[in-house]
Amino acid sequence: MHRSTSWKVAAPAALLLALAGCGDSSTEPGGESELITRVTLTLTPQGGGAAQTAVINDPDGNGPQAPQAQTGTLSLARGTTYTGTVRFENAVASPIEDITAEVRAEANEHRVFYTASTTGVTITTTDTDGQNRPLGLAFTAAVGATAAQGAGTARVLLCHYDSSPKVGTATSCTGETDIDLTFAYTVP
Amino acid sequence: MSSLVRPLALLLAVLVAVPTRARAQVPPDRHIHGVVEDAATRRAIRDADVFVETRGEATAQPVVVRTRSDADGRFDVRHLHTPTVRLYVRAIGYAPSDRIVDLRDDDVVVAVRLVPAPTVLAAVTVTADTLADRLARVAAVSALDARTIAATRGQTLGETIRQLPGVATIQFGPSISKPVIRGLNSQRVLVMNSGLRQEDQQWGTEHAPNIDGFDADAVTVVRGAATVLYGPDALGGVVRVDRAAVPDSGAMGGDIATNLFSNSRQGALSIGVRGANLALPALGRVGYRLRLTSRIAGNGQAPDYFLSNTGFRELNGSAALGVSRAWGRGELLVSRFATELGVLRQAHAGNFDDLQRALTAAPRDSAFSYGIGRPNQRVAHTTARLRVVRDLAAGQQLEFVYGFQFNDRREYDNHGPLRFRNVPAFHLRLFTHSLDARWSHAPRLGWRGTVGTSALAQGNQTIGKAFLIPGYDLWQGALYAQEEFTRGRLSLTAGARTDVLSQTTLAFADLGITSPAGTRRWTGFSGSFGGAWALTRDLDIALRVARAWRPPTVNERYAQGVHHGTAQYELGDAALTPERSLGLEGTVRYRGARLVLDAAAYSNGIDGFIFLRPTDPVLTIRGAFPGFRWSQTDARLRGVELAGSYQLLDRLQATVNGTLVRGTDRTTGAPLFDMPADRVTIGLRTTGSSARLGRWYAGAGTLLVRRQDRVPTGTIYALPTAGYGLLALDIGTGGLALAGRRIDLSLSINNALDHRYRDYLSRYRLFVNDPGRDVVLRVTTPF
Repeated sequence: MHRSTSWKVAAPAALLLALAGCGDSSTEPGGESELITRVTLTLTPQGGGAAQTAVINDPDGNGPQAPQAQTGTLSLARGTTYTGTVRFENAVASPIEDITAEVRAEANEHRVFYTASTTGVTITTTDTDGQNRPLGLAFTAAVGATAAQGAGTARVLLCHYDSSPKVGTATSCTGETDIDLTFAYTVP
Repeated sequence: MSSLVRPLALLLAVLVAVPTRARAQVPPDRHIHGVVEDAATRRAIRDADVFVETRGEATAQPVVVRTRSDADGRFDVRHLHTPTVRLYVRAIGYAPSDRIVDLRDDDVVVAVRLVPAPTVLAAVTVTADTLADRLARVAAVSALDARTIAATRGQTLGETIRQLPGVATIQFGPSISKPVIRGLNSQRVLVMNSGLRQEDQQWGTEHAPNIDGFDADAVTVVRGAATVLYGPDALGGVVRVDRAAVPDSGAMGGDIATNLFSNSRQGALSIGVRGANLALPALGRVGYRLRLTSRIAGNGQAPDYFLSNTGFRELNGSAALGVSRAWGRGELLVSRFATELGVLRQAHAGNFDDLQRALTAAPRDSAFSYGIGRPNQRVAHTTARLRVVRDLAAGQQLEFVYGFQFNDRREYDNHGPLRFRNVPAFHLRLFTHSLDARWSHAPRLGWRGTVGTSALAQGNQTIGKAFLIPGYDLWQGALYAQEEFTRGRLSLTAGARTDVLSQTTLAFADLGITSPAGTRRWTGFSGSFGGAWALTRDLDIALRVARAWRPPTVNERYAQGVHHGTAQYELGDAALTPERSLGLEGTVRYRGARLVLDAAAYSNGIDGFIFLRPTDPVLTIRGAFPGFRWSQTDARLRGVELAGSYQLLDRLQATVNGTLVRGTDRTTGAPLFDMPADRVTIGLRTTGSSARLGRWYAGAGTLLVRRQDRVPTGTIYALPTAGYGLLALDIGTGGLALAGRRIDLSLSINNALDHRYRDYLSRYRLFVNDPGRDVVLRVTTPF
């Protein structure tokens, strides 16, 4: 009996060791990125002139590191209206993925909201989705002749709608926020 | 010790099953002996299974002693402490015998005469398929038996055990229900499923135990640290789910169980088959047990609106084969649990602004639907278990359990363009092998108990598109002993255990997130000591001290990511050290002729208590999230549990069951997170039995919950919840005679008044009310 007992201990132990070899965790974690890591604003004066570009990079996207400082400066001249576009990219993918096209393809589910902090600077969405609701990938920024001078910020918020309906007249996101960044500009 | 506040139905069952309650003063040590014979020929039957179940006044827990008749058909069971016992005898080829034997009569030989029959096995479960633990006498233990589970089964396993004292649940709507024992949950509450530690990413509060509620014949809850028998994750308590042993005699039988829930329009169907008439080559006669369960639930319904996307679906199956031979028993069990469940849409926030908006927006009605959209979870848990029990001389047993578990968890969120939403945000695959060996030894110098060893190897893969925890390897080994000494009215228990754990995390560097590789090893000691003293025949008291420890889990050390539903950004801390607890608990048990009362009080100090401390907001490209960092402090948990019943009239019984928990951060004096609100349940129940109706009962109860104002500040949990009261009604019977069958039937109405309320432990309480009225119909038909 003693003999058979020790056999019973040994057999499952051997089985355990044998099976422990399979299904282990040696697979490196890793995955497909869903990220938007870079947002680019481009402003072109409607009367002609050089386009200005500002970029905010956040290589870890939803990760714990805060977005990096903005590169490129935006200088908004009083009395000028700018044509603007926004570009969303996954810059950590190789090659870099343009997410803007996907947002456009799903225009009925998305909207970009803009908020300028300066009195006298008005941002207006100029493109629409399939149901004639604002989309926001294209916009104009009108800087009034009497707009307050100095530093200002423009908040860019990409909202997507799933359970909640997209309402064309809404002035803020009522869906879920995919992007929420603040760009700096100056009004000289 | 038990709470004898066990559910009303169990009390009923006891009252009915043991109609002759002891009145006389009797010496505590009794025995039963008898002979098993063929009713026709009066020939002795050898190797009949003899079960002696003591339950009722003197012991808190039903205790089952199992033996076999010898060559002369004789059996003898000693050291019984109740005036009556239930004697259940079965043998291959005979109808089983089930009777109550009064031990107060003089020494008589009980003659059990079995009638030959190609029988169907009785549906009543007598033994669970794992060794009962030896804590019951001094620890606070409550149990639900198969009949009670069948009569009170909820939408999930958590909902079924919520009725026990000291137990609460963290709810994510109707579909996710996580047990909380004495204020602790998740990685501090171990779920044992058929003798295996359930390894299903239990650290997440929104990760419910992946167990089929129909595939449970007994559920036992140990309140307080039980780390000696179960290991470090039992620091807060244990939920044991046991299945009945595979039958070793009888033809094929089974049952069909149907549960219908009006609130979520849930339909659940479970079919079980069992028998012992399978003959396999080489193995000979083999017992089997099969079960298949399916549930489909739609959106839950609060009094004014449906809860969007809270439906779920389950498809579960299990198959077991067992042999019972002279050397002992062997059993192979394979089971799979698969669920898909929705997460409340409103609770899913893109960032903190979205969350604030969801908090302040009026709950939207959403149409009823069985559909499950984003966000959602798909989880499958597969288990294989091999168990061998070797019966040795003098009642000793050797038990070996090998288990393999594979947990596949996919969580889908709702961010970004559509194509991303079909890739799981989190995809975790967890592989676990475990091997346990236990020796229940014969009494030595008055001590009897269990010595055991336990080994576990685990690997985790992180695959999804977002990072939450890294892949890791975990190795764990343990050696323990739990012993009990009884002399006269005193009984002592002592236990000790050493664990060694090694945790190796894999490096992650992608998507701008880095998580380092590293190996940490911990060694720790657990111990417990307790004593129970029977002051009088009706009254006994017990005291227990338990020392426990728990090393930090991988999520506590390395988490980086946003938690669905609360939009909180969790950050792990790799430097965390093990938490250590020292708990003291006292229990008082009274078993009078009319009054049955159980009370427990405890104080549990946890040094280095690991919890989420609010920190600076985390800024991401998606906006700001409230930041939480896993940190340590010194905590204390104190509480009182009370459970009692009073026989007002012959057929009328009043019950009460109350729970109070106070969790405090000792360094700041602030309350701890996630402590259940004070609650008491008061009920009235009338019972009876007749040939046609079976053992019927009808009852009404009210659950009263006090306002939870002990909430930590500085977080979204800083919102107190109001008190509330709910009314529940239930009526049912076991063994209703209908069309030549005995049917178990129960009808319950939970939240009968459709009251609007939000429980503090409901994770959706920031957004919506808890579910309203729920009419539940449960029918079980044997065949």
